[in-house]
Amino acid sequence: MQKLACVLLVDDDSTTNYLNQLLLKRLNVAEQILVAINGKEALDLLHVHCQTPFADCPVLILLDVKMPVMDGFAFLEAYEQLPAAQRQATTIVMLTTSLHPRDVERVEHLNIGGFFNKPLNREKVDEILKKHFGRQLPAE
Amino acid sequence: MSEFEPTAAELARANEELREQLEEAHELIHAIRTGAVDALAVQSAEGPRIFTLQGADQSYRTLIEQMNEGALLLAEDATVLYCNASLADLLRCPLAEVMGRSFDEFVPPGFKQIWAALMLKGWAGKSRGELPLRTQTGVLLPFSVSMNVLEFNETPVLAVIVTDLSAQREITAIRAQVAEQNALLDRKNEELKREEAARLAGERAAAEASRVLEGIPQIAWTANPQGFNTYLNRRWFDYIGRENAVGSDQGWDAHLHPDDRPASGQRWRECLASGEPYEVEYRFRNRAGDYRWMLGRALPSRNTQGEIIQWIGTCTDIHEQKLALERIDQAQQQLRDNNEQLTRANVDLDNFIYTASHDLRAPISNIEGLLDALLLELPAATTQSEEVHPLLDLMQDSVNRFKRTIEHLTEVSRLQKEHGGLAVPVDLAAVVHDVRLDLEPVIQSTEARLDVDVQATTVLFLEKNLRSVVFNLLSNALKYRAPNRSPHVRLRTWTEAGGVVLEVSDNGLGLDAAYTDRLFGMFQRFHDHVEGSGIGLYMVKKMVENAGGRIAVKSTLGVGSVFSVYFTNQ
Repeated sequence: MQKLACVLLVDDDSTTNYLNQLLLKRLNVAEQILVAINGKEALDLLHVHCQTPFADCPVLILLDVKMPVMDGFAFLEAYEQLPAAQRQATTIVMLTTSLHPRDVERVEHLNIGGFFNKPLNREKVDEILKKHFGRQLPAE
Repeated sequence: MSEFEPTAAELARANEELREQLEEAHELIHAIRTGAVDALAVQSAEGPRIFTLQGADQSYRTLIEQMNEGALLLAEDATVLYCNASLADLLRCPLAEVMGRSFDEFVPPGFKQIWAALMLKGWAGKSRGELPLRTQTGVLLPFSVSMNVLEFNETPVLAVIVTDLSAQREITAIRAQVAEQNALLDRKNEELKREEAARLAGERAAAEASRVLEGIPQIAWTANPQGFNTYLNRRWFDYIGRENAVGSDQGWDAHLHPDDRPASGQRWRECLASGEPYEVEYRFRNRAGDYRWMLGRALPSRNTQGEIIQWIGTCTDIHEQKLALERIDQAQQQLRDNNEQLTRANVDLDNFIYTASHDLRAPISNIEGLLDALLLELPAATTQSEEVHPLLDLMQDSVNRFKRTIEHLTEVSRLQKEHGGLAVPVDLAAVVHDVRLDLEPVIQSTEARLDVDVQATTVLFLEKNLRSVVFNLLSNALKYRAPNRSPHVRLRTWTEAGGVVLEVSDNGLGLDAAYTDRLFGMFQRFHDHVEGSGIGLYMVKKMVENAGGRIAVKSTLGVGSVFSVYFTNQ
């Protein structure tokens, strides 16, 4: 399977980031993995990596909802302000533990690739690859 | 004359005659001037001609002079030919200056027309009228005039009698005043009579009222239509501590609480003006110096004409009721405060459960993830070893328990939110049938006997919740079975007082009655040998109550339990 060029993990929990990085490496799906611990850092990384067309601009962002400094919703609002060309090549998937009906409703109305309940696992990664990138994991 | 020369004697005689004539004329003019002799001055074409009143009878003239009325003769051009001294007096003008003057000068400007009309009519025969004349001093005085045409020395003259009316006017004015005074006196008398009658009636009414009011157990009073106290009964004087006093008490308001004065006074004035019934709550100081709340009421009492003759009022002691009401108000306020606090606490608790379930979920999935990662890293020989394998199993067990607890918390949290969710008619028999199928393996393994008798068709509920209720009750009945006998569970339904009742009874462990209250609490467990989360019955109760129903339990330790769910159809 052809690897994704770059995946950005956004979560304030370093263990979650560690495990997700481990999962993606083991599944061997990404050339490069970037990690940000809140929305603000994620925006900064996008600023750096998406300047030139668009070699290592993340094609997939796995975004946590609840984070300090800038949470997932605020990140999406700021992201909407970026140039459309920059956003076209990127899929955003939200990872959430929140089952609050209010949050679920809010996520459902967002213009994003989808959302999954934590934790991320092989099946969820495979589903994202099939739906947004037209590829699938090789059988174990 | 030149042909005839008179003699000196003739001349002297003629001279003598002329001198006599001249003297006579002089005397006449003098007499006229001094008013001693009357004369007529008639304006003729040759100039004024003076006539003495030789022809008039002396006695008439004397009479005329003695009259109080003014008398005068006017020529056609209104020149005064003659006038008596009275007229001169009336006009405040010397006699000599009246005669020979035009009478027009005495007529004030506003009355010239009337005068002219009188004259015209007078010259035609006779006339009579009233008008004011201006005296020499400028004062206007009222007069009546009466005119007649006379022939005098072959010349027509107008004889005028002028009567001063001022005196008459004064008398008339005095009479009018007297009449007015008399009328006033009459009216006053009438009024006095009426007042006397009203006073008597009022006194009679007051006396009657006070006879009645003396006997009643409240403070009672009367007031006159002006609002002043006319009577207070003995209760009042007992209340304020003035022994043996009776009658009215103008100082009653000294006992009124200062804070209650403005409002009660204002209302009293309004009622006095409108005649509306008076009702007010106010405090009066008693003999001990304590203020007590009174309900003051008064009604106007009217006579047959509908006029208010007095006010009759009472003061009822409402002190205890008033304080009780205040206490109730306070208690209600307290309840409202408590309710608010409880509502806040509930919201806080709800948020806490949600936050806890949410915040615990992330670390436990991390632990699970780390455990998985560790398993992948460890060599198979290690993981399968006698020492490590049980540790890993126990770790996985703990993680699973933790996750289940979080799921239960999440369920509870979800239940809180779905309060008042959309209930629909659900076929109870179908639900029971499905649950029975789900539990079939347990029924088989425990060799249980399950009798189902479902009468009612539908209940209003969320379907998945109804399934959960039935499942929990049935699985509990099997789970908490008595070890020494095979389980016998009966499920029946019937309709009672318009609602459906679902009853599940078992012959299981049963519970001491002391614990049944806590049975439906969250995370309550009573049997530690049986696997359970302690959340099932809490959830059941919550779901039933959210749907407007209730659940009850009867249990006997060692005999069994009976759970009854009362559904509502509203």
